[in-house]
Amino acid sequence: MLRGNYFDGRSTRVRVVNLSIVGEDLVITGEDVDLRVPFTQVKVDERLGGAPRRLSLPDGTSCEIRDLNALDTLLSVVAHRDGWVERMQRHVQFVLFSCLACVLLAVAAYRWGLPWAAAEGARYLPPAIGKTLSVQVLKVLDGRILLPSKISGEHQQALSAEFHALRLPEGGTADNALLFRESPQLGTNAFTLPDGTIVLLDGLITSIGDDQQTLGVLAHELGHAHGRHGLQLLLQSSAVGAFWAFYVGDISHLLAVAPAAVLQARYSQDLEQQADDYAAALLVRNGMSPGLLADALERLTAREAGVANAGYLSSHPSADKRMRHLRALATASRGKLAAPRQHPGASLTNNSTYVDILTCRALPMPRVRPTCCSPLC
Amino acid sequence: MDNNSGIDAPSQASSGLPREQVRFTGSGAEYFGIWIVNLLLTIVTLGIYSAWAKVRRLQYFYRHTALAGSSFDFHGSPIKILIGRVIALGMLIGYNFSVRLHSPLTLVIVLALAVVMPWLLRNSFRFRLYNTSWRGTRFHFRGSVGGAYRVFLLNGFLTLITLYVMAPFMHQRLKAYQHDNSWFGRTQASFHARPGQFYVIYLQLLAAIVVLAIAVGVSGIGHALATLLQIQKRGQHVDPHAMLQTVLIIYGTLILALILIGSIFHALITNLIWSNTRLGEHRIECNMSPSALLWINLSNFVLVVLTLGFFMPWAMVRLAKFQLESVRLLPASDLQEFVAAEPETIGAVGEEAATAFDFDISL
Repeated sequence: MLRGNYFDGRSTRVRVVNLSIVGEDLVITGEDVDLRVPFTQVKVDERLGGAPRRLSLPDGTSCEIRDLNALDTLLSVVAHRDGWVERMQRHVQFVLFSCLACVLLAVAAYRWGLPWAAAEGARYLPPAIGKTLSVQVLKVLDGRILLPSKISGEHQQALSAEFHALRLPEGGTADNALLFRESPQLGTNAFTLPDGTIVLLDGLITSIGDDQQTLGVLAHELGHAHGRHGLQLLLQSSAVGAFWAFYVGDISHLLAVAPAAVLQARYSQDLEQQADDYAAALLVRNGMSPGLLADALERLTAREAGVANAGYLSSHPSADKRMRHLRALATASRGKLAAPRQHPGASLTNNSTYVDILTCRALPMPRVRPTCCSPLC
Repeated sequence: MDNNSGIDAPSQASSGLPREQVRFTGSGAEYFGIWIVNLLLTIVTLGIYSAWAKVRRLQYFYRHTALAGSSFDFHGSPIKILIGRVIALGMLIGYNFSVRLHSPLTLVIVLALAVVMPWLLRNSFRFRLYNTSWRGTRFHFRGSVGGAYRVFLLNGFLTLITLYVMAPFMHQRLKAYQHDNSWFGRTQASFHARPGQFYVIYLQLLAAIVVLAIAVGVSGIGHALATLLQIQKRGQHVDPHAMLQTVLIIYGTLILALILIGSIFHALITNLIWSNTRLGEHRIECNMSPSALLWINLSNFVLVVLTLGFFMPWAMVRLAKFQLESVRLLPASDLQEFVAAEPETIGAVGEEAATAFDFDISL
């Protein structure tokens, strides 16, 4: 015999009733209640732990039942089967499987899903958005962090001419806008804005001191422009931020920000790698050696030696690794080059990068960060 | 004017009926299974299942909450919640994108959101209450659209232009709008806390913030960061480790301060609000201990972080149990005498509740 509380849906009066199955029908009897309803018309709430379950009748009345075992016995008579989600929730092995699956899926989504989705999204975003973003970024930076360049006009024109003459691996020449600026804060740097505009800082030109190597750096920036890395990073940071806000948001909104920045760094590394590969292809196509970029990196590294690596916060793969990769590409492409350049074979023992990512993040930047990551930031 | 501060209210209900303590019987281990399975289904369906997961979560908590021996229940339809979520997500993306864009469009989108938001919030209250029941009888929210605009838009604007001096007053108006327009069956709830009582608690909040700010200032963390930033401004290199360390310390301090002040404020304001709410002639008493809430929030936070989120179900259950069980109902008469609103009456007001626009927006 199953006891329950019957509610008529019109008042909060509690009627204690007995429930039983007679044939195919549910029979409810008790104070002022004498009901017989075909069980197929009764809606049985799912079992949620030890919470009371409710049987809802077609006339809007309901029974609340606390004795779950007795209810199970009653339900077994009419061969009622709990829903599959209900059964999974109670199944220990499936709960453990869910834990594992959630962790694996989260890692996979972070490692492959999001970059893929963001790259696709960046490809299909209308160019006008990149343009607007870039104009905004420049408006904020110009006059504050970016000052007019002190490089001579002829030098600028010569570099621009060489830059615009670069043939791209996918065909055509580089038609990206190239801006010359000076910046005490950003120092030796070059970066690409979301619309492909490249900003070249005086510090980089003078520290490298070799326009061919500077072109190597610009080839790397063209790789960022080609891959639309600026927009991709923007989309990724929005997604990672939104996820964290959702996941940790209940506990603390503040906590939501920090891990997002750490998670972000990983993506930057992949994008640097892609830009390096693009730069190598571009340089080879123009009869130049990918080693030029490696040389530029080496020179900048030597200059910045002594600055501690930000380690896990670094958005760059170690310069050493990048240089080795580029030089391998240079060796591989040597046959295709008209006049291979000689590279100083000095091996770098200093494993520090000159990447100061914290400097970069602490900048009074607008909400949109340019791909301020190469080769210095 | 009726001037009963619930905190000082007589401990014995005038009716002589026993007080009814709200009971919560959920358990973390039990909820974990439900939580993780629904999380997996949500991930596998790319978030679509989240609406069903939400219904199940609310049902778990509602059905484990009992008053006078009977549980509450949640009846929301997952499909409506899904529609609400899709719309809310679209609005969120639009808003975030427009804010980053810094264009004239930003203003248009922000204004459009400001205009729609009060209406959405009112619908959200309606959805939540209409889908809550106790002993087979449903709650209702009957606040007018005009009232929502007054409470959210006009008061929000006043708060901004008075530099938040009006914030406690606005909070009081919001709660009055919410609680005065809430019904259980044919019984209307009423709200009796006065703006002055809100001001007292907000002033304590302000004092706590000032004290903490001074403590942080004296400790010299802020000074350390300022020095580092100064060095950086001059274009010199800053040791990234020193910078990271300083930033992390500041971060930790902020989170601690937020939990500390947030918990105490939440306990005080919740006690004020619920102890001054009545359902018909029935009084409600809420006695949440600020220090106990602080301990729960703090330990929950630490454990959730340490377990990378896997402690979440226990954290949610602990918090719910503590908060719900601090509430008591002081019945003025037999709790069997509530009468449900007639189906026709529901039809007139609740008709719209059934339309597609009456979606739920989680806030």
